[in-house]
Amino acid sequence: MDEPKSARILLVDDEPAITTNLAPFLERSGFAVTLAEDGEAALLRVGDSAPDLIVLDVLLPRLDGRAVLRQLRRSGNWTPVILLTQIGSAVERAVALDEGADDYLGKPFEPYELLARIRAVLRRSQAGTLPLAGARRLRACELELDRQTHCATLHRQEVMLTTKAAAVLEYLMLHPDEVLTRERLLDAVWGWDYPAATRAVDTRIAELRRALGDNADDPTYIETLIGQGYRFIARVEVDR
Amino acid sequence: MKHAAWVALPAGLGLLLMAIAQSGGIANPILFLRVDLGTAAALAGALAALATGAGLWIRDRTLRKGAARIIDAQRQGEEMHRQFIRRLDHEVKNPLTAVQAALANLNGVGDSPALASVHSQVGRLARLTTDLRKLTDLETRSIEMQPVDIGELLVELVQEVHEAPESAHRSVNVSLPRVPWPLPSVTGDRDLIFLAIHNLLDNALKFSGPDARIEVRAFEDGPSIAVEVADTGPGISDEDLPHLGEELYRGSSPPGVEGSGLGLALVRAIAHQHGGSMAVRSRVGKGTVVTLRFPARP
Repeated sequence: MDEPKSARILLVDDEPAITTNLAPFLERSGFAVTLAEDGEAALLRVGDSAPDLIVLDVLLPRLDGRAVLRQLRRSGNWTPVILLTQIGSAVERAVALDEGADDYLGKPFEPYELLARIRAVLRRSQAGTLPLAGARRLRACELELDRQTHCATLHRQEVMLTTKAAAVLEYLMLHPDEVLTRERLLDAVWGWDYPAATRAVDTRIAELRRALGDNADDPTYIETLIGQGYRFIARVEVDR
Repeated sequence: MKHAAWVALPAGLGLLLMAIAQSGGIANPILFLRVDLGTAAALAGALAALATGAGLWIRDRTLRKGAARIIDAQRQGEEMHRQFIRRLDHEVKNPLTAVQAALANLNGVGDSPALASVHSQVGRLARLTTDLRKLTDLETRSIEMQPVDIGELLVELVQEVHEAPESAHRSVNVSLPRVPWPLPSVTGDRDLIFLAIHNLLDNALKFSGPDARIEVRAFEDGPSIAVEVADTGPGISDEDLPHLGEELYRGSSPPGVEGSGLGLALVRAIAHQHGGSMAVRSRVGKGTVVTLRFPARP
């Protein structure tokens, strides 16, 4: 497998002001960048340049980003995709993950945040495992999660979880080994990330730990990084 | 127009009958009536009541229609406002993304206070557009509807304030009814209600001096549960009071107090999402009381 340093990135956005600034930034960060300015061009480039990762804007002329994503996944292409969402609705984000995006980022974003996401997604895809984004069932040690029904089992016994806790567990399992700040979890699961409410995240993590019998001091699943956030440390696989 | 038809119809019918009677179309067009005074009075009363009832019914209908039109216009106004924010957001976020990427390219090249200032101001703009969009998103999305124990929530909130080093020494009291029955719960999204009251308490701490007293209380108020955050801070002027809760309204807040001008708008949006309301009472030099009302669980 290639080192992330030489990974090829396809950047799809119809706004030249963005591509002309973002492409050099990504190149300086060690990636080889190709550009596409609409959905159809994006599909063609995927065909002839086989990128390692696609950064895909949602609102595009001709074929929008989500249609591109659907076509790729339907044709069995699992190139990792980071969607740049335009409308910040929580529903759109949830749909993005369901449709097989590996991650998403709302505009405007800090370029360094995009860089961190790209590296995390590449690390996951290069670990040689099947992509988690398109899987219906995920497994980590004795824990299994059905992403469609949000039903979790531990040692084949059903675990009772609130809707929010199940959604937090899903997001954690889709981003294993990644440090997730409370704000990012709030934004992804609750749809808002007001720092005043980060305690809501702690409450759900505590609920998950109780339900999974996970010891915070010596965790199997969820690790606390003081001052940073949480990290799902168990190896996550696609459960067939 | 419809009202005119109801008046014209009986009048026209009367005139028509008169014309037929006087033209000899009816053989003996004279009525002989012998009615006792009591029956005549009752009849007249009934007719007058009918006429008054009809008049009142027409007036009520007109008022109801007028009110419905006002509510419709209000809703339309709110929708237009949301649409405007969405469009503004859409137009602003691409240039902002481009500027942020350009700034990242400049990193390390010609570091200067000017560049640092551009960096921080672009960050501020980005936060503002994101917060505005999140606010409009919150106003339209559906929320979780679970029973929420307000009393327990307030105790947790104040405990959090006392645990934070910057507010540990502040005087914040909780007052909850326990006799003859505890506070009924409300239905809603606990995390959002927590966020709303947290924002109010945050404001009370931020805008009042270190010696100010703050009280958080909840009580039954008719069909609602009222939650109040009261402080003995500087109070809010009469000019500012009607505008509180409007997006980006900052008023004449004391210098050095940071804020986005969206905090109270968020609180108000959360109250409305729960079918509730927000009200502010204040006296300059005395303090402020913000009241949130949520429908109590039946």
